[in-house]
Amino acid sequence: MAELLSVQDLQVRLFDRLGVVVAVRDVSLSVEEGEVVALVGESGCGKSVTALALLRLLPPDAQISGRVTFQGRDLLQLPLKELRAIRGRDIAMVFQEPMTSLNPSFTIGNQIGEVLRLHKGLRGQQARERASELLSLVRIGSPEQRLRAYPHQLSGGMRQRAMIAMALACDPKLLILDEPTTALDVTTQAQILDIVRDLRQRLGMSILLITHDLGVVADLADRVAVMYAGSKVEDAEVHRLFAAPRHPYTAGLLRALPRRGRRAGDAQERLLEIPGLVPVLRDLPDACAFAPRCPRSQDDCSNQHPGLAPCEADHRVACLHPEPIVAGAHP
Amino acid sequence: MTIATLPGAEPTIALTQPSRQGWWRRFRRRPPAVIGLAGVVIVVLVALLAPLLAHYSPTVSQFGQVLRAPLSPGHILGTDELGRDELSRLIYGSQSTLEVGVLATLLAMVVAIPIGIASGYYRGPIDMVAMRITDVVLAFPFLLIAVGLAAIFGPSLQNIIVALGVAQLPGSIRIARAEAMALREQDFVQAAIVTGVRDRVILFRHLFPNMLSPLLVQASVSIPAAILGSALLSYLGLGVQPPTPSWGNMLASAQTYLYNDPWIAIFPGIAIFLTTLSFNLLGDGLRDLFDPSMR
Amino acid sequence: MTAAVLEVENLRMEFRAPRNAGGRRVQAVRDVSLEVQEGEILGLVGETGSGKTTVGKCVVRLLRPTAGSIRFMGEDITAMPSSQLRPLRSRIQMVFQDPYSSLDPRMTVSQIVAEPLRAHGTHSRREAAGLVRRTVERVGLSQQVLDRYPNELSGGQRQRVGLARALVLEPRLLIADEPVSALDVSVRAGILNLLVDLQRTMGFSCLFITHDLSVAEFLCDRVAVMYLGEIVEVGTRDEVFGAARHPYTRSLLGAAPLADPVEQRSRQRAILPGEPPSAIDPPPGCSLNPRCPLADRRCTEEAPGPTQVSEGGHVVRCHRVQEQLDLEVARS
Ligand SMILES: Nc1ncnc2c1ncn2[C@@H]1O[C@H](COP(=O)(O)OP(=O)(O)OP(=O)(O)O)[C@@H](O)[C@H]1O
Ligand SMILES: Nc1ncnc2c1ncn2[C@@H]1O[C@H](COP(=O)(O)OP(=O)(O)OP(=O)(O)O)[C@@H](O)[C@H]1O
Ligand SMILES: [Mg+2]
Ligand SMILES: [Mg+2]
Repeated sequence: MAELLSVQDLQVRLFDRLGVVVAVRDVSLSVEEGEVVALVGESGCGKSVTALALLRLLPPDAQISGRVTFQGRDLLQLPLKELRAIRGRDIAMVFQEPMTSLNPSFTIGNQIGEVLRLHKGLRGQQARERASELLSLVRIGSPEQRLRAYPHQLSGGMRQRAMIAMALACDPKLLILDEPTTALDVTTQAQILDIVRDLRQRLGMSILLITHDLGVVADLADRVAVMYAGSKVEDAEVHRLFAAPRHPYTAGLLRALPRRGRRAGDAQERLLEIPGLVPVLRDLPDACAFAPRCPRSQDDCSNQHPGLAPCEADHRVACLHPEPIVAGAHP
Repeated sequence: MTIATLPGAEPTIALTQPSRQGWWRRFRRRPPAVIGLAGVVIVVLVALLAPLLAHYSPTVSQFGQVLRAPLSPGHILGTDELGRDELSRLIYGSQSTLEVGVLATLLAMVVAIPIGIASGYYRGPIDMVAMRITDVVLAFPFLLIAVGLAAIFGPSLQNIIVALGVAQLPGSIRIARAEAMALREQDFVQAAIVTGVRDRVILFRHLFPNMLSPLLVQASVSIPAAILGSALLSYLGLGVQPPTPSWGNMLASAQTYLYNDPWIAIFPGIAIFLTTLSFNLLGDGLRDLFDPSMR
Repeated sequence: MTAAVLEVENLRMEFRAPRNAGGRRVQAVRDVSLEVQEGEILGLVGETGSGKTTVGKCVVRLLRPTAGSIRFMGEDITAMPSSQLRPLRSRIQMVFQDPYSSLDPRMTVSQIVAEPLRAHGTHSRREAAGLVRRTVERVGLSQQVLDRYPNELSGGQRQRVGLARALVLEPRLLIADEPVSALDVSVRAGILNLLVDLQRTMGFSCLFITHDLSVAEFLCDRVAVMYLGEIVEVGTRDEVFGAARHPYTRSLLGAAPLADPVEQRSRQRAILPGEPPSAIDPPPGCSLNPRCPLADRRCTEEAPGPTQVSEGGHVVRCHRVQEQLDLEVARS
């Protein structure tokens, strides 16, 4: 498979009231054609900032360095005009807040029509037909009628579908979904995941899926990148990551999760707790950011920042003392 | 399946949160607010230190020195129609002007806060009554109230304060009520109710302290409004009574001389303008400071 | 036979609908009956808007129910005046979902945890201080947090403070409204473990409200499933998670993704189509009928009554399940 997107050593520094935030630290990523890559991590670890940085959608004072190669071109160096042509057409993004990313004063039809006009030059009847086709694609019933609806007239799930439809307007090669189901109920979430799975099969696009929900990852992803405190700590094929995580943070997350079949009453079953707090993303020392919370940390963890290194085929981990390889856990 | 538990109570790393000094830092970053604060501090200092700052008595006339132009010897801002030093009158005038503004606002707050809290917290009949009262007050222009009070009790300083305070009531009640209503729905107040904390305690310990910030903002808007109101009353002869100087009555008595000697109107006018402006700038700054979405 | 700490019967709660709904009423809770036994954790699960929080708030009497009855330790508290209710309040406590708005930002941790003690005046100042310290320790916080303000604590720490406040009076019944939903996975685990430990040592009963099925399965002895203001299925953990009968419960179980790619990708999923109707005009008959694959005419006309699936109290409200059961009985 050919590589569609490649991110190398992405570093993002943001500024807020209290000073510098190193929101993304040396993150490398690659998305191949037709592949679904999940970016997981807990709140505030830099997932959204990473995605926004790819498309240069961060505030103007953000300092971004590294390389983002998409179809042979570095998005970080591209003149803004050319980047604009790529945004929405080749790379589409569904933002984390479905409520604020639709304009409340225009109908869904207007907003989809705008994208079609901008990137495809479609107008009038043609645009309307395409728009209602898109709504059917995300399984919105009676699409002609829905095109005339304003965002506030739709439920959360419907809005999310409309957002996805809008993102699909120009058959993007890469679809970035930032927490597409976080605000939704499980039933609606399952419906949306179904739609995404189906779209991917039919349209063959690549997807960068941002989520903190390991269930969603297990459902959709081909490959998983785990982030912690702005850094990528592990990267593996999905079955492999769930069966044999090597980074203590990933392993901890998986064991901290209440799962179906786990019961507090059974044999003193307990969830694993990861002690401590997520570090503040300011002046992080040159050390493993997870070391203070890590059960496997040793002295050397606090005086060097472990880089991401291959540990097995198609599996990379940024840890000096990774979890032992689980025998027979290969999928 | 047995799973190891990592030892670990929650750690006690404090998150970096805005502290008290962070407040000041944030405030300092808003130049208009800082200017407003400086203006307010200056006016208050002038009022407090009036006897030290003024070279002349504000009430003693110097005959033969009537209506001297500004920059004349001994009288930087000139003298008024009775030969009193304009600067000294301005300095002393700040006292009664501020007194009226602050006391009227204080009075309004003292009455409005309990009413507002009770009607926002209990809603129901109490709320209905309180809202009707504010509607009634709003229906009467405050001038009418002031004129009425002055007519009945005579235009004393207390009556002016009462009249202006009453005029501020509806606004302050509404703010207190809106805050109380919002706070009542907050989980921490619900938690207190569930725990069985008495209403009295909830009102004093949870509602009141948490509405101080918006009330402070309201006060900073309400003081200049009262100052302007008192100036207006002076025009009708119902304000601070001469010979005690206030910026309002200075302005009022300058009317007759406006054509030939405009400065005796201009200076108190500027003083009122700058003072109300300072309070308003300070108020806006405080509002931003307390607004969580601006943090 | 253990005694019921909480008995809710035919609870109904209506709200005035927002202005544009034409004076109709939101039927947040339509008909809920449940019991929480001594020392048990009953899970109340359901999707957004199904009325879980409203049930919880009625039980702690933050709301006065429109109809129905609530009995706590045998005493009817449905319409009890607040003066009479006050002493009982020390025995029913609540933990809230939002760790940020549930603590007064202007009080220190020790003041917050001491508040219930002060409210009921049962302890001297010194006793209270000691009790506060022990309780804070019990919920896994160090003594250093006592003088902190909530904004100096993390979400997990705040939720522990909320738990300490609820437990300092050693209540008989704890209503926990989504106490871990706002927390990250790694922090959530700590709170859930803590809740299990505390429940074991202190022996209180708990109504645990959640929309997360795996949390319910981890924690609860019995589970009630809510849909549109009604309980559609209730049973022990094994019955609900292992042998669910109601189409809605089955759909929920199928919809929640499993954090295991092998299992998740191989399982059969039958997810209900559509979305829950508005609580302002719920459909006639069975509330699930517009979305239910099994629905027939009877389901659109007649609301199903409770059907006993097992002796142990596995109850389902569904005509089709009832028919099936009748068939099974007829065959045997
Ligand atoms: N515009 C900004 N200015 C300053 N700091 C920011 C900005 N946006 C995000 N941050 C900070 O950058 C860090 C990473 O944020 P990001 O939104 O990427 O997290 P996330 O992983 O998407 O979390 P979540 O799951 O909560 O969406 C956070 O610490 C956040 O506070
Ligand atoms: N004070 C209120 N006024 C009007 N309607 C209300 C009020 N409180 C709740 N409702 C409505 O009642 C229904 C049930 O709400 P409730 O909060 O109990 O649901 P829930 O199951 O707790 O949902 P969630 O999972 O979102 O917390 C919803 O339709 C809600 O909009
Ligand atoms: Mg995000
Ligand atoms: Mg709720």
